[in-house]
Amino acid sequence: MDDIVVSLKNITKRFPGIVANDRVNFELRRGEVHTLLGENGAGKSTLMNILDGIYQPDEGEIYINGKLVEIKNPSDAMRLGIGMIHQHFMLVETLTVLENVILGLAEQGLYINKKEISKRIEEVSDRYNLCINPSTKIWQLSVGEQQRVEIIKTLFRGAQILILDEPTAVLTPQEVEVSFEIYKQMIEEGKSIIFISHKLNEVMDISDRITVLRKGKYIGTVDTDKITEKELATMMVGREVLFRLERKPHERKDKVLQVSNLKALDDKGLLALNGLNLEVFSGEIYGLAGVAGNGQKILSEAIAGLRKVIDGKITIAGKDLTNASASEIFAHGVSYIPPDRLKMGLVPNLSSVDNAILRRYYKPPIYNRHLINYSEAERYAKKLIEEYDIMVPREDAPVKLLSGGNMQKLLLAREISEQPKLLIAVHPTRGLDVGATEFVRRELLKQRDNGVAVLLISEDLDEIFMISDRIGVIYEGQILDTFDIKEAKIEKVGLLMAGMKSEREFSEQVCSTV
Amino acid sequence: MISFKGINPLAAYKALLIGAFGSTYTFSETIVAATPLILIATGLVLVFNMKFWNIGAYGQYIMGAIFSSYFALNVSPSVSPWILLPVMCVASIIGGAIWALIPAFMKLVWEVNEVISTLLLNYIALYILKYLMYGPWRNPTSHGFPLSKMFAANAQLPRIWPHTRVHLGIVFAIIIVFLMYFIIKKTRFGYETRVIGENSTAARYAGISIFRNTMLAMAISGGIAGLAGMAQVSGVIHLLQLEINPNYGYTAIIVAWLASLNPIAVLLVSILLGGIEAGGSQIQMMMHVPYGIVGVIESSILFALLGGEIFKTFRVKFRRRG
Ligand SMILES: Nc1ncnc2c1ncn2[C@@H]1O[C@H](COP(=O)(O)OP(=O)(O)O)[C@@H](O)[C@H]1O
Ligand SMILES: [Mg+2]
Repeated sequence: MDDIVVSLKNITKRFPGIVANDRVNFELRRGEVHTLLGENGAGKSTLMNILDGIYQPDEGEIYINGKLVEIKNPSDAMRLGIGMIHQHFMLVETLTVLENVILGLAEQGLYINKKEISKRIEEVSDRYNLCINPSTKIWQLSVGEQQRVEIIKTLFRGAQILILDEPTAVLTPQEVEVSFEIYKQMIEEGKSIIFISHKLNEVMDISDRITVLRKGKYIGTVDTDKITEKELATMMVGREVLFRLERKPHERKDKVLQVSNLKALDDKGLLALNGLNLEVFSGEIYGLAGVAGNGQKILSEAIAGLRKVIDGKITIAGKDLTNASASEIFAHGVSYIPPDRLKMGLVPNLSSVDNAILRRYYKPPIYNRHLINYSEAERYAKKLIEEYDIMVPREDAPVKLLSGGNMQKLLLAREISEQPKLLIAVHPTRGLDVGATEFVRRELLKQRDNGVAVLLISEDLDEIFMISDRIGVIYEGQILDTFDIKEAKIEKVGLLMAGMKSEREFSEQVCSTV
Repeated sequence: MISFKGINPLAAYKALLIGAFGSTYTFSETIVAATPLILIATGLVLVFNMKFWNIGAYGQYIMGAIFSSYFALNVSPSVSPWILLPVMCVASIIGGAIWALIPAFMKLVWEVNEVISTLLLNYIALYILKYLMYGPWRNPTSHGFPLSKMFAANAQLPRIWPHTRVHLGIVFAIIIVFLMYFIIKKTRFGYETRVIGENSTAARYAGISIFRNTMLAMAISGGIAGLAGMAQVSGVIHLLQLEINPNYGYTAIIVAWLASLNPIAVLLVSILLGGIEAGGSQIQMMMHVPYGIVGVIESSILFALLGGEIFKTFRVKFRRRG
């Protein structure tokens, strides 16, 4: 009989207006990697927050090593050997690795000897190949390295059961592999891991067993070697999912966007674009891959006229629009789906009607002699809502009440309806469920087929490979290389995302910060 | 609070009510007090909707009074009121608008916090008024009191209700309320201000000019406050003096919030608070409690209001944790 270290029985957790977990069962054996799989909002984080003592279940029981327990807070969880690494790290940026680890211990009231702990951090780092130097400041570390510091912190607090909440969402493919090596090492030492993800290929790769949640409900638990990716997807989504979107061969025609030698600063005044060159043609999707923070946001803002550039040139359909205003650039046929729909693309407190007309409230027939014709505006909003099948409570309800998917549909519908020459889409499917994701991708393909030049900026490599015709990799404000989709290899793109030209360079890089 | 002084609070409130709405005369005084509140608060609604925290209606009101008084005191009494009064109106609007455009410009160009700059300008306006009242504009026969000469008949806004002090200003106020409602709800300018107020990043994204709209809105807001100042000197007191009740500029902030930034609601709330102002003097006479009690009542209202807001926001934040 296997050793069962965690058993959650019939856990129910309600939030106002939603049942985040509905009689969920979950079981973890000693020495296994058990994946919790589910779409965004399926209730994965909630369930694990219950195990970590952050939330209390409304119903259900928790057994640790066969004993019924009550976990009132994370300290309780720690005492039971449970440690969680959250989606958002909880490190103090201005302190060193050592100081952060000490902080973690101090919370538990443990005895602290700085020198000894520093030595032990080095030991642990060596043992797991983490390549972390205790005296480095957190802000100097990459996201992947910060994650490893979180792991060290948790190990130091004596965790035997590690919960990792979507650790790979922020990593490059190579960093993911490094992490997986670390997990395997921990398993060998008799620890057990709960791994949260919604990326099927990773899940198949790392886990021994998989538990699927859908809309808060427990769907089932399966052995990884007895199931296919496709079957898993069906369990997760509740219907068959198309893995490949149909694509017509692409006909690339005129050059719509030309960016040459572009330089621009970010909000902190640091050089974020460093002589970037880029061309996008009508009838193609150009997918720009890159780890967040390498200049993709700045680039999209510069093209859309929302950020001044300090050098270089932006030409749209043959016209020099460097440092033109946002409205001028929009008037020249550039639509923009910004990375954060609630911050920029939509006005959350205004109605669907007000949001639908944001791009044409100053054009007839909606605009008429200083006035806005609201019956026209409403007609227009209704048209978008029907055409794109957007679920709204009422047209005059604030858009913040819509689900993420429906907000994004409204934004997309509005931008596409302006019949742009160039469509910039930044993280267009971030945070959307599978249905809405598929819809958005299809819509981008449709635009491409209609001859629009699409610049797709995404953190999701699968998405980029699925719909792009050409793929470029951005790193530290430059495009390192561009591939035709037929020649693009995911490994190569992954390496470039980390700024490296070869495998060898990567393995050297992992420990280079020490 | 009132019971602290050993006076039956119910009786005091009753006196207040009678003072505000009890008789034709007291009701007319309520309208007189409500007039500047309606005007100023309506202007504030526009800029508060844009999240521009104009605390400067006080100073804009004073400047309106000063600018219009300049013409009232210097134009010959033989000029037709049909000319002089419109000139005074325009002057007051310009005076208030200038006083509002300064902080708007400072915020838009140098990112100077508007709460601080408008407050500062309030003091400057008050000092200008003091200087004029103790200096060049003082009536030589006022025995040292800080008063100007009486306005001639052609510089007085007509009274529209016999035997009371209710003047034409209330008609302006009502027209402006409905105009403002229309501007906010129906015009392109109103739409743009709404987008800016709710999400200035989205406004930038859509190419909406934050500079032009904020300047225009502040000019309107300050202009209306200036007009309120003119209505007060030309309609109620018929001279410029140190005591022209600039505190209306602060009370109007309370009005705008109590009215949830809706111009039509401003009308009703102003009459309510105007009633408290007017009734205040009544309690003072009948119950021998100080007039200051009016301030206490007003600030309690604001406090309850802010408290409610804080709890609302706080609860939302609290739930989102984790
Ligand atoms: N603190 C909270 N208050 C209210 N609703 C919440 C809270 N946390 C999560 N939810 C809701 O519960 C559902 C499940 O969320 P979560 O567990 O974060 O999903 P997952 O991690 O699988 O993406 C979502 O609909 C989410 O909006
Ligand atoms: Mg989650």
